[in-house]
Amino acid sequence: METIPHVVERISQKIEAKGVTVDHEKVRSKLTLLVEEFGIQIEEAERTVTNELMREHNLSTPASSGQEQRAIGDVTPGEWVTVEGKIVSVAQPPTGAIAQSGIIADSSGAVQFVVWTKARAPTLKERTWYRLEAAVVDEYRGAPNLKVHSGTKVTELPEDRPLMPNVAPIASLKPGVGSIRAKFIEDWEPRHERMMQTGLLGDESGRIKFVLWKDGEREKLELNRVYSFYYATVDEFNGRLSLNLSTAMYIPEEGDIRVSTGSDAIEGAFVHMAPGSGLVKRCPVEGCNRVLSRQNYCPVHEIQSTFRYDLRIKGVIDDGKKARNVLMQCETVEQLAAMSLEQAIEIAENNPLGLDDVLIQLQHRVMGRYFRCTGSDIDGTFLVRECRPVQCDASLHASLINRAAASPGGDIA
Amino acid sequence: MSNGTGGKFAGFEREPALRVFAAELRESRIQFKEGEDEKSPSYVLLPTGERCNRIFLCGQMTQKEKRGEQNKFYTVRVQDPTGTFFINAGSYQPDAMQQIARIEPPVYVAVLGKPGIRTTADSSVFVSVRAESVTEIDLETYRCWVLDCAQQTLDRLDSFDQTDDSRKAKEFYNTNTAIYRQIIHDALTQIDIQ
Repeated sequence: METIPHVVERISQKIEAKGVTVDHEKVRSKLTLLVEEFGIQIEEAERTVTNELMREHNLSTPASSGQEQRAIGDVTPGEWVTVEGKIVSVAQPPTGAIAQSGIIADSSGAVQFVVWTKARAPTLKERTWYRLEAAVVDEYRGAPNLKVHSGTKVTELPEDRPLMPNVAPIASLKPGVGSIRAKFIEDWEPRHERMMQTGLLGDESGRIKFVLWKDGEREKLELNRVYSFYYATVDEFNGRLSLNLSTAMYIPEEGDIRVSTGSDAIEGAFVHMAPGSGLVKRCPVEGCNRVLSRQNYCPVHEIQSTFRYDLRIKGVIDDGKKARNVLMQCETVEQLAAMSLEQAIEIAENNPLGLDDVLIQLQHRVMGRYFRCTGSDIDGTFLVRECRPVQCDASLHASLINRAAASPGGDIA
Repeated sequence: MSNGTGGKFAGFEREPALRVFAAELRESRIQFKEGEDEKSPSYVLLPTGERCNRIFLCGQMTQKEKRGEQNKFYTVRVQDPTGTFFINAGSYQPDAMQQIARIEPPVYVAVLGKPGIRTTADSSVFVSVRAESVTEIDLETYRCWVLDCAQQTLDRLDSFDQTDDSRKAKEFYNTNTAIYRQIIHDALTQIDIQ
């Protein structure tokens, strides 16, 4: 750890470099007070004392760094930087304290920025190049964020330079801004009325959830089509990444992508069938598709006179180490339980136990049995794409017998 | 899509169901609670050195008995290659009760449940399983379970004395791992797999 005399020396030199004499003893007492009396970290104390002295002597704060021009792709939180970049996206600021927010990019990468209202900076125009001098990089939701404050000098650059976004594989995305070429592989029901579209995008390296919000005139994506997405915001929530397309440009592309199955495999016993399994009725309202209650009540569209049947299993597959929630859709259930949707409907409509009878039969066919499933984990639920019963393996049997016989301390008597 | 079975409880993780043979469960003597809360899970420490709140077992249901006058409950015996599990289900386990009501022994069943240890009036110890579900299975599934249970018990034995729980088990049960290997070996040689 750095000692106080050390830091006193550095602060004094910094101030004296501006042609002002500094009382070393005063610096030392201020620093000691902050560190020893208030328990403030020495780095923080150094900044506080430096800034205080700067103000005292009418020096511009902190003009010492941020002069050197940097590549946008390389900036990291905690730095003062000067960058030249193109404004590729601007968004509605969420609060009055922010004049503008958006994304600025150069050929090395892109970063989200915020212009504070207090900065009194000129309004940045989309698709225009600027030089931002002495902007500060901090971290917002796990991603670097460039702040334009009152000390930042903003200069519009006259020329338009060529700029090509760096398209990266999905697997390499990090919180911040990213550009990908990906296929729209799953269209999900939006769960919020401000959401226009949500689902999964995939490329050769992986898959990622995306959201397209209703603000602004945006075109919906077409399922199974390949697009280039430039400058989407990559958000992180609970360790999972998702792509916000509101800031992005997207262009349909020719051709196809072999999307990574992104698949994990799980194997274990089916130990629990959760409520909501079996034959369910779905809301017929276009784009809704929610599961109706037994009295045909949709949480959004209320009582429905018609509906669409669907067969699904929500449950738990447990391998003895971990219990995982699984969701099996109609096709998988039909195959696994040897019961077609039509048969399930037939049972439900012609049997006094109705829907319960379907559930009992499904339970009878899957509970307690061993399955191997491939699919992908979405928000803690394993979405099953394919599922097969596990067969007893004679070679495993033999190797276990050997393992049991071979005691670590020698043969068992 | 995210309204999975566990989605409502962020951070809640379902306890996995351990695989344990009847011969081992029968020897368990320690039951403890982690945490002071009334709802905190209660664990049984297995002699091979792992705690379990929930177990998964398969075997042949050999006996089913309905007991109680006002509060009816079922007691069921399930036989695996090493011994007998004592299963019960009362009115607090309505699903399991109804499932048991539909099953007539002798058939193979899979049981998910919570182990419990109690001392009877004559101070003998009785280990039983309170069922969450009891379902009929086929012979193939039973064989799969024997392999699964053998493998997981061997895994526990291999890390015996290397984990906190197994050091506690060693201290309390003075577990002879060779005996458990013998039990597993005998269980495996009792089943036939082509």
